[in-house]
Amino acid sequence: MHGFLFLQLLTGLASAAQLFLLAAGLTVIFGVTRVVNFAHGSLYMLGAYLGYSLITRAPPTPVGFALGALATAGLVAALGAGLEIALLRRLYRAPDLFQLLATFAVALMAEDLTQRLWGAEDLALPRPGFLAGALRIGAARFPLYDLVLIGLGPAVYLALLALFRTTRWGVLVRAATADRDMLACLGVDQRWLFTAVFALGAGLAGLGGALGLPDTTATLQMGFSSVTDAFVVVVVGGLGSLSGAALASLLIGLLQAFGIALVPRSTLVLVFVVMAATLVLRPHGLLGSASAEAAGAGAPALVRPATPALRALALVTLAAAVALPFLAGPFLLSVATEALIALLFAASLHLMMGPGGMASFGHAAWFGLGAYGAALAALALRAPLPLALVMGLLLAGAVAALFGLVVVRLAGVYLAMLTLAFAQIVWAGAMQFEEISGGDNGLLGVWPPRWLGGPVGFYFLALALCAGGALVLRRALHAPFGYALRGARDAPQRAAAIGLDVTRLRWAAFTLAGAAAGLAGALFAYAKGSVFPTYLGLGRSVDALLMVLLGGVGTMSGPFVGALVYTGLYDALLLATDAWRLVLGAAIIALVLLFPDGLAGAAARRMRA
Amino acid sequence: MLEVERLCSFYGRAQVLHDVGFGLASGSVAVLLGRNGAGKSTVLKSLIGLVPPRSGRIRFERAEIAGLPPHRIARAGIGYVPEERRVFAELTVAENLEAGRRPPRPGLAPWTAARLFALFPALGELRRRPAGRMSGGEQQMLAIARTLMGNPRLVLLDEPGEGLAPLVLRQIEASVRALRAEGVSLLIAEQGPAFARAVADQVLVMEKGAIVWSGTHAALEADAPARQRYLMP
Repeated sequence: MHGFLFLQLLTGLASAAQLFLLAAGLTVIFGVTRVVNFAHGSLYMLGAYLGYSLITRAPPTPVGFALGALATAGLVAALGAGLEIALLRRLYRAPDLFQLLATFAVALMAEDLTQRLWGAEDLALPRPGFLAGALRIGAARFPLYDLVLIGLGPAVYLALLALFRTTRWGVLVRAATADRDMLACLGVDQRWLFTAVFALGAGLAGLGGALGLPDTTATLQMGFSSVTDAFVVVVVGGLGSLSGAALASLLIGLLQAFGIALVPRSTLVLVFVVMAATLVLRPHGLLGSASAEAAGAGAPALVRPATPALRALALVTLAAAVALPFLAGPFLLSVATEALIALLFAASLHLMMGPGGMASFGHAAWFGLGAYGAALAALALRAPLPLALVMGLLLAGAVAALFGLVVVRLAGVYLAMLTLAFAQIVWAGAMQFEEISGGDNGLLGVWPPRWLGGPVGFYFLALALCAGGALVLRRALHAPFGYALRGARDAPQRAAAIGLDVTRLRWAAFTLAGAAAGLAGALFAYAKGSVFPTYLGLGRSVDALLMVLLGGVGTMSGPFVGALVYTGLYDALLLATDAWRLVLGAAIIALVLLFPDGLAGAAARRMRA
Repeated sequence: MLEVERLCSFYGRAQVLHDVGFGLASGSVAVLLGRNGAGKSTVLKSLIGLVPPRSGRIRFERAEIAGLPPHRIARAGIGYVPEERRVFAELTVAENLEAGRRPPRPGLAPWTAARLFALFPALGELRRRPAGRMSGGEQQMLAIARTLMGNPRLVLLDEPGEGLAPLVLRQIEASVRALRAEGVSLLIAEQGPAFARAVADQVLVMEKGAIVWSGTHAALEADAPARQRYLMP
């Protein structure tokens, strides 16, 4: 038994070291630049691939391995510096979360390019003798290499601590973290400081990727999977806190090692349960401080009722939408149905993010719950379509109302990460409780009844519910509720002082958004005829974020424009090219650089000028 | 050393400074007076580049600096001490000074931590204290000391005496006199406790974003209507 405990302890420490190497760079970058770097996982992935190429070419000795890993770190650091200079430097003053959009696009492109350069096969490092050694613990073997990792984690932590605590560069970086404008007034060119910090963070990710090679294989998926892990560590530790990241790595690494051994079913959920619990108890993470929020972006745009021109345009679009089934073929009709559903989904997230001021990384939770609610009602309870749709909406709305009680007390990135944690927990539940959800196989055979009149009938139903639902949400923002909500976002204390219950307003918006997303999900279940756990996945949450940000958070027509452009772009690209990730990523970056206030925002600016 | 001509600055669409113009001779002290919201702070922020002027010229030691980013203006020899002090709260006193350190400037005796601790003895005893855990007066001294570490030829002081106890105020006043003795030029915005105007070579009075009166302190004392019109609450 002691042997077992000892083995799990070592395993936990090794994975903690690995997690720390992955997350340290992210927290350093966020701490200074306030950039939520979604491409961090891709830098880690590039570290693994580059490391594979370099280490397999180096002599198979410990020195060769170490030099290969260090060279990888250097190369990835250079890539990070290039990324900062070429892209992020232009976005520091951009609205909240725009860096997220841009770095997400980088992650998409990195995955595509990596596949082109190294192929789609997973790459496993051949284990030369010095890596194959193992420690005997009872009947089990523990790789000696992991002992090296256990030593390397703390060594890197101490080196970083020394760098930040004892060097002039570290002093300047910490000063920039606190107040970059003041530091500039003291004559420090913060641009190069930021570039250097970004290079350091990227280099750490690259080092982590290369050092992870002996234990795992390099895969194309590791970019997106590792970035979630990295975010969890950084958020649990407290954004920007290096010691917090170290502590969180230790906590999560050990919990995982013992958790998997004791409760095998906990694997997928455990990490996110830890994050959710931490954030509920300590809203700024273990060692985070209240000031470490993502930078705000000045006064949000005013919201005005639609101009006559916009109303006319909306009417023309609606007329075109009504005429579409008589003009378009079945494929275009199904794309249009999905675009309508995306519209309601995006509009619901926009209500939270824009006027509500609560950005969510896990909005797919409500979409997926709506889809599962409708599918289960239709399959298990034999509910007719209208009832099943209502069930989907109610399930999502009710769960959002419950979860909202906790989440609306948080703010900024922490709130976003708690929503992500919740979505991942629901996703893991859908994967693992196969008796109810069908697990990975999903629920099949959720088709609209015959009386609806086939795809055309369903299209009109979707048009009525989605356009209607989006208009209801829009109407709510021009009602006193909407004014109060925006007041609570812009000046929570002043709003409270004039008698508005800020928490309850945010909770109401959160619940409303959840219910609307649930309706979209329920419709989607019927449109596809099936429900899968991917409906709850991070990918779908990111889709919604992209739609809202593309359209422009600060505008009312943003989600409408964003949803249509994004689904159109996505489907067109999927058909036209196998390099869709590359092109979509490039398109997103171009949009971010050219239209920093979103497509609808840019259009509004042009009309005013 | 400083010539400002027809300076116009905006916050978004709102114009805050209207054709502000004045000059400052090397080694002299000028004071900006005016009511709350008259534009004193904005003049200083425009000079250091935090609020880039929309139009107008700022010549510092014969070089045009309007439109340059703050770090270039600071390197050219202008130091800025903001009204809110903005010390780096998590950094110690010594680290705050290190963040402000720049290479020495020809013709000026370079400032060192030791010289600054002699100027502000209170700081010398708090070297390892994080700036966030100091009193307002100590933070004000640190903010000035931090700026001096950059060896500026011109220091912009925004409301240095605001909210300070008389004892601290006297120390700040002494430091202003010491700086002047070193040959450093000063431009001081002042509204609350009055001390700087007494040492100033030149007093500039602002109202509604424009300079409406200028002259010596003695002339302002003699000009009761002007004081009544521009400075009485």
